[in-house]
Amino acid sequence: MTVTLSNPLREGLRLARTPEPACLVIFGASGDLTARKLMPALYNLALQHLLPASFAVIGTARRSMTEDAFRTELHDAVAEFSRTRPINEEVWATFARSIYYVPTPDDRGYDELGRVLARVDGEIGANGNRLFYLATPPAGYEPIIRAIGAHSLRGTTGWSRVVVEKPYGHDLESAMHLTSVVQEVFREDEVFRIDHYLGKETVQNILVLRFANSIFEPIWTRQYVDHVQITAAESIGIEERAGYYDSAGAMRDIVQNHLLQLLALVGMEPPSAFDDRSVRDEKVKVLRALRRIAPDAVDELTVRGQHGPGFIGGERVVGYREEPGVAPNSQTETYVALKCFIDNWRWEDTPFYIRTGKRLPKRSTEIAIRFRVAPHRIFTREASEGLDANELVIRIQPDEGISLTFGAKVPVQGLRIRSVNMDFGYGESFMVDAPDSYETLILDALRGDATLFTRRDEVEQQWAFVDPILSGWHAGRQDLALYAAGTWGPDQADALIARDGRTWRRP
Amino acid sequence: MTVIDEAFWGARAASIDALERELARLRRAAVAHAKERGQALARASVLNLVVYAEREIHARRAARAVADLALRHPSRAIVVLGDRRRDGVDASVQLHCHVPQSDGAQPVLYEQILARVRGDFDERVASVVIPLLVPDLPVFLWWTGTPPSDARHVDDLVTLADRLIVDSADFARADVTLPEVARLARLRVGITDLNWARLTHWRELIAQFFDVPAWRPFLDGITGMRAGFAVDMDGRDIHPSQALLLLGWMASCLGWRPVEALAPSEAGGVLFKMARADNAAVMVRLRPRFERGLDTGDVSGVRIQAARGRETAEFVIKRAPDQRHATATAVVGGVVRAERVVPLPALGIRELLGEELAIAGNDHVYEAALATLMALA
Repeated sequence: MTVTLSNPLREGLRLARTPEPACLVIFGASGDLTARKLMPALYNLALQHLLPASFAVIGTARRSMTEDAFRTELHDAVAEFSRTRPINEEVWATFARSIYYVPTPDDRGYDELGRVLARVDGEIGANGNRLFYLATPPAGYEPIIRAIGAHSLRGTTGWSRVVVEKPYGHDLESAMHLTSVVQEVFREDEVFRIDHYLGKETVQNILVLRFANSIFEPIWTRQYVDHVQITAAESIGIEERAGYYDSAGAMRDIVQNHLLQLLALVGMEPPSAFDDRSVRDEKVKVLRALRRIAPDAVDELTVRGQHGPGFIGGERVVGYREEPGVAPNSQTETYVALKCFIDNWRWEDTPFYIRTGKRLPKRSTEIAIRFRVAPHRIFTREASEGLDANELVIRIQPDEGISLTFGAKVPVQGLRIRSVNMDFGYGESFMVDAPDSYETLILDALRGDATLFTRRDEVEQQWAFVDPILSGWHAGRQDLALYAAGTWGPDQADALIARDGRTWRRP
Repeated sequence: MTVIDEAFWGARAASIDALERELARLRRAAVAHAKERGQALARASVLNLVVYAEREIHARRAARAVADLALRHPSRAIVVLGDRRRDGVDASVQLHCHVPQSDGAQPVLYEQILARVRGDFDERVASVVIPLLVPDLPVFLWWTGTPPSDARHVDDLVTLADRLIVDSADFARADVTLPEVARLARLRVGITDLNWARLTHWRELIAQFFDVPAWRPFLDGITGMRAGFAVDMDGRDIHPSQALLLLGWMASCLGWRPVEALAPSEAGGVLFKMARADNAAVMVRLRPRFERGLDTGDVSGVRIQAARGRETAEFVIKRAPDQRHATATAVVGGVVRAERVVPLPALGIRELLGEELAIAGNDHVYEAALATLMALA
């Protein structure tokens, strides 16, 4: 690494340090992710003065296209998908000047990419700093990584980093294989595996809530917590992703990455520092302590469901098997419910119920910590009829916020107790739009901060948990439960939690 | 005698106790009113904001800005309106209070109190404010206009506060009053200058040039700096304080020393000769320019010239004529190496105040910039 002189003008400035000048190389630049997420994020970073003073985006894909056509395509994408609208044409115009496109249908394309990269790098003074972003379907990862190596696209000076999108492998073995390919070209500390949930403000706020306050952590244990429910409900179907989804299913699409991340953040021990190593060490520890569900236990601890036709928001929707591109006898799950345990001192015997599904009645991602009821009841049964156990709910999307329910006396003569809600909403409290998670993550990758990215051992632990469940399912030990679109999932999921005398929350 | 507009400031209260009772009544009425419309009303308070004004127009402007900020920084606002004109009359205090309704989806209750003090009030003003402060919450004192030097009421109120907010753009003579602000900084209160806050984006943009490793060495080789600031059409109203703060900041960060003030240059501008840490000269010119759409005193552009060996460079930030954007250009060895347009809106009092209320600590960089300016004066 080259030593750079510090910048004395930086002192006291409240905006975060802007990253060093760099070239961002996007593979899969003609794709959906680039149009919907990456370019709007980059444009919004430019609006906020958060991009380096000199910065270039070099897009590449197989498709042959002129630079002008590429810029126009991106302009229209930003105009449609940016969180700030309308598009600021003045800012876009200068930003677009530093966008390039190189088609890479074959090896010669990569040579050309190398030449353009070297030329642009020299022009803007990026000093060899390069961020490679793999925004292609997963089948593209391996050949692209190899091409980066074979065509020496890494700079000879400066830093090089690679961002890998999800899915990272489809089981433990393929994930480990992908890592071995990546490591032919990049060191582990140069690899940034994206889980965009981690870029969400509220997800980061789980750590702040737990570790910046002194009142929650002491009760964040089996002694006070009855159980935890983590829900990721989607009202949408599979949209255009039939090809990928039908081979993946909800387990690989949502549980392996997003839900296990949430579980790790809720369950982890306090890290000793807020840096990439300490935080990720603790997450790996808790994932390692997550009790594996053996293939012959899937019947007891898991539910897999698939939605049929039904109604969402008053509109009729088709069943999963009627979706275009899905096999009419598909056995792919669109719903998963799990009961898991973390085998450590803090959580022994405290169930974590996890569920996710497509075509549920509304979109909602939340974590609910349900506390134990008061140990000794001094109020009459009649008085406390409207009373529930305390519950702390962290809402991740939409309507980000935190609420706490507790019992309060109803203001009448005599004693009646009812649960009331203390509610904190992000939107109302700070009155600013939270940045999109891709803005946060791209900026972090440019700065080299990997705290919000998934480390190799983390991914491997996630797959090590998911794999035996999948193999239990494939061995036919668990029937696919059907549920109507617009309901909260199959009856079997209700039975799963009812066996413990509990019920799912209504998010 | 001027009459207080009760439609704006609320009903009059006879004493501080009566005022607290009136506030409680108003809060309940507001909640009941919200309930009728099926809304929940949150009562929230994160700070005490004491506004000191000697002109009602300033007091009103401040009250409106506070009302606009209620959702982000719900506060108890205590507006102290000093009225010295009735000289010789016994000092008197008039209290008004108000629970303004905000028209948002999420109505938030906050409270606004007007305390009008008249006559010779210097020694009693703090005694009016103290009982009105909400306990345990930080106290921000917003002084509209120029704080007079060596006045008892200034020191008393500043001592109560955790943070003092001033706007040096309003100062009649920046060269005299900026040092006065530096004196207040010694009363161990954090100082926020809204005029300094207007420079934040400029500082950010200037600093970004030198985040580029290849350009970083030019920072030690600056030979000249020019900054333009807006004046009105006839060029009479000259407020260089923002441009001076920008110079003070550069000089204190980079260790420049004043050599001589060649001022005043043409048309009210200022010309300084300064010396870098390595004793080489830096020529600085602050120049008034007429700019349509800019407030008087706002910086309109900055040009930094530098040399390293034989290579020269120029870093320029210039406001676009639409006053909402700026162009940042780096020219190295005569070649444009980077040019981009960035949003640079002129911030209103409300945005500036909102940013500053979020910060509780002292701004050492500002204090250092002020100290350097004092050495220049």
